[in-house]
Amino acid sequence: MSTKEDRERIELLQGTLDLLILRTLLLGPAHGHAIAKAIEFNSEDVLQVEQGSLYPALHRLIKRRWISVEEGTSENNRRAKFYRLTPKGRRQLAVETRKWGKLAGAIARILRPTEQESES
Amino acid sequence: MRRRKHMLEELDQDIRDHIERESQDNIERGMSPEEARYAAMRKFGNVTRVKEETREVWSLIWLEQLLEDISFGLRILHKNFGFTAVAVLTLALGIGANTAIFNVVHATLLQPLPTRQANRLVVIWVNNLVQSWSRIGPTGQDYLDWKEQSKSFDDLFLFEHGTGTVTGLGEPEQVAGLRVTTNFGEFFGIKPVLGRTFRLDEAGSRHNFAILGYGYWHRRFASDPSVAGRGMTLNGEEYTIIGVLPADFAALFPADVVVPFDTDWVKRVGTDLGVFGRLKPGVTLRQASGEMNVIAGRIATARPSRKGFGAVLVPLEAVRVEYLRPALLVLLVAVGFVLLISCANVANLMLARSVVRQREMAIRMALGAGRLRLIRQFLAEGTMLALLGGTAGALLAVWSTDLLNIFVPSRIPVPNAADAVTLPGIHMSGTAVAFTIVISLLTGIVFGVIPALQSLRCNVNESLKEGGRGFSIGPSGHRTRSTLVIVESALAFVLVIGAGLMIKSFWHLLEANPGFHPDHLLTLRIKLPTDAKSSEYREPRQQAATFQRFLASVEAVPGIQSAAFAEIVPLSQDDMDMGYFVVQEDPALPPGEHLAADYRDITPNYFATMGIPLIAGRSFSEQDNLDRPRVVVIDEMLARRFFPKQDPIGKHLQIPDATRPSREIVGVVGGVRDTGFDQQPRPTIYFPSLQSPDQTMSLVLRTTLPPSAVLPAIKNAIWSVDKNQPVFAVRSMDEIISGIVSAQRLAFLLLGVFAFLALALAAIGIYGVTSYLVSERTHEIGVRIALGAQRSDVSHLVLGHGARLAGIGVIGGVVAAFALTRLLSSLLFGVSATDPLTFVVVAILLTLIALAACYIPARRAMRVDPVVALRCE
Repeated sequence: MSTKEDRERIELLQGTLDLLILRTLLLGPAHGHAIAKAIEFNSEDVLQVEQGSLYPALHRLIKRRWISVEEGTSENNRRAKFYRLTPKGRRQLAVETRKWGKLAGAIARILRPTEQESES
Repeated sequence: MRRRKHMLEELDQDIRDHIERESQDNIERGMSPEEARYAAMRKFGNVTRVKEETREVWSLIWLEQLLEDISFGLRILHKNFGFTAVAVLTLALGIGANTAIFNVVHATLLQPLPTRQANRLVVIWVNNLVQSWSRIGPTGQDYLDWKEQSKSFDDLFLFEHGTGTVTGLGEPEQVAGLRVTTNFGEFFGIKPVLGRTFRLDEAGSRHNFAILGYGYWHRRFASDPSVAGRGMTLNGEEYTIIGVLPADFAALFPADVVVPFDTDWVKRVGTDLGVFGRLKPGVTLRQASGEMNVIAGRIATARPSRKGFGAVLVPLEAVRVEYLRPALLVLLVAVGFVLLISCANVANLMLARSVVRQREMAIRMALGAGRLRLIRQFLAEGTMLALLGGTAGALLAVWSTDLLNIFVPSRIPVPNAADAVTLPGIHMSGTAVAFTIVISLLTGIVFGVIPALQSLRCNVNESLKEGGRGFSIGPSGHRTRSTLVIVESALAFVLVIGAGLMIKSFWHLLEANPGFHPDHLLTLRIKLPTDAKSSEYREPRQQAATFQRFLASVEAVPGIQSAAFAEIVPLSQDDMDMGYFVVQEDPALPPGEHLAADYRDITPNYFATMGIPLIAGRSFSEQDNLDRPRVVVIDEMLARRFFPKQDPIGKHLQIPDATRPSREIVGVVGGVRDTGFDQQPRPTIYFPSLQSPDQTMSLVLRTTLPPSAVLPAIKNAIWSVDKNQPVFAVRSMDEIISGIVSAQRLAFLLLGVFAFLALALAAIGIYGVTSYLVSERTHEIGVRIALGAQRSDVSHLVLGHGARLAGIGVIGGVVAAFALTRLLSSLLFGVSATDPLTFVVVAILLTLIALAACYIPARRAMRVDPVVALRCE
């Protein structure tokens, strides 16, 4: 079933989807499908989002009041729901980004020696 | 809330839009519409799960799922009616038994005393280790000395149980009386329902004031609210009623009438008083005990007659439950076991069923149900079963509580103290209902989790791949079920051992010879009123003569074979009378050393009426009166201990501290177990009551007629001598005996019932596991038979499996029983807690029952037709 391309994709870590949604919305309001596309496109198709899982995440963010939702019309003039970053969400994004940076840096530091060993 | 609903409603639309957009994109990339839509859906994932997870974000989802689980569970339970009925019944037995025993525990151990600061109240007795008197009442002077010298107590309270004769209110009545120091009301924090209690300063002089008990006020005065200030005649004297006690106070003192001591009276009264102390805050029982024994030493120096006496302090709350506590603890453990066994059985049933449902679970999991969700489904089903079982169990408990009221005595003895406390009736309380609910929920969780965990171990792919063929539970499932059965057998073994020991012990108890013939004996008490100055009974000679007249009158009643008076009836716990003596012919004892014995005043016909054998010499006769030489009869215990290798007849006994003449021993009788079947007879001296009159005596009658048939005639015979003389404490010897073995009987009967339940449940468990094994191995058995195995080999295989489970259970049970039967030891009489015979018999019994339970499945295995079994493939 899975193609070779599929196998090179990486499944999202638990909780990182929220961060990616917030980051995507920083550029402006978007509807659900567009958010999924943006994440895939911006990660150069490395990050695989099971698109369905976007919706529980969106609702979670709404509940925490990090994003808001409004009716609107999409580019091809169809009715759609647009999600928009709230000021609270913007602050949260900053916090989460910093955290992520720390985490990624730490993991990278731990992994680097192995990399060098395997290269040598 | 509305916002949430709105969002969820729109979710469907959002998902449709999303998939449509994705399909559109795919079409633009060159896919066919059908292909595009399929790819979009695949990319989106499991729609149902997405919806569910989204709804879960909006928290109330948990409750919704629970309701779904419950309705689904109810449907499942309804569909499997047979399974449900068996499980509910099993649980009802376990939960019902627990609730019933909880009711008893609640009514006895957990009921708060109707007094303030009950946890700081202690009962103070004196003891005398030299004479092996462990708990006897102090004297009035002891109380005054304690009160003056001790610093451990806020206050000390003195009381004396007694009876009073009430006349002028219809039939003369002997009422339960209580004489108390005037700090009565303050000491217990009593709030009278009417009038007042005594005032402290009323101890200064004699006041004929009476406070009525609530029950007596209700019974005799029809709860008359104007009773305070009225008069009543008590022991021939006029008293003024000043108040009525609250209803619940009867749990502490079931007195009809309470009257006050004055200080002079306290100084005069001898032994057999009761003293309570209220410990000061922060003072421990040990500290108070230490102080009281120091004081006892001081008292002994000041009053040499009190030499050798110490003080015994026991918390009041402990005294009340002392007698029943061991029995109740045993029963609590026993019902706990029964519940565990029911749980194990229901878990086993559910496990068996979970095999059938494995496919259902696999499908649900494949469709995206989370594992937690499935566990919750099992728990919901288990809890519902348990609640159904709990409801049925509560009904069972209500019914059996009525039954328990018969077996739990309302008057329970205080060990070693010739006293008794009153228990309130047992009833189903709100606390018990709460207890049932809690225990049902716990039960549901226990037997719900086991099959849940078990079935979740299954592999979705394997289960689905296996197709239509029977699912097997797998080795770990077998292990779980076998373990449950082993645990069940072990628990059942312990219970049956307990019941076996109690049966043996109870049999010993009933076979024990009390030293007299207890059947066909009726007893009642008579107390001559002597308080009033005008009373004709103040003169001892008059007392003796009056009892003579009563006896003559009673002996004339038809149907009475024999009658006598005695100061105290054996086993009755009515009273105690004991004292020192000196053997005149022996060298004088060192100062401070005493010989002691129980004293009993009796009329001549007593030994014959009771069936106490005369061993040597003669009994008393009508001629042994105050005008003749003083004589005594001793029992064989006293003869053996104090006249070893001598003939006691013709020797003389003297009572110290008395100017009375010495008394010649004229006879020796058999020993009597006076305080209980499990106690040795104590050295006893019998005095002829004509030479040693008493105010209160018990009439013992030997008659083959039922008590109710002769009682009216006996009362009339007594009233023909004195129309104002009440009789009280009418009891047959059978009643007295059933009272003193009540704790043992309770433990014996209930342990028997529980052990039977446990055996039946364990047998069902073994049967279930074995028949499951047979049905699962039908194919294998067919192959074996086809290859030439004998049918007997097959049945051995099955029986062997059952026997192995039971065997391991028995071994575990023996270990557990060795540890646990110690709990029983205080209830056992004439049998050790590790009685080898009982252990062996019960082990054999349990193994036989296990084999019997395996017999049906074994027969089924033998009848397996290899052709049919193999065709199943």
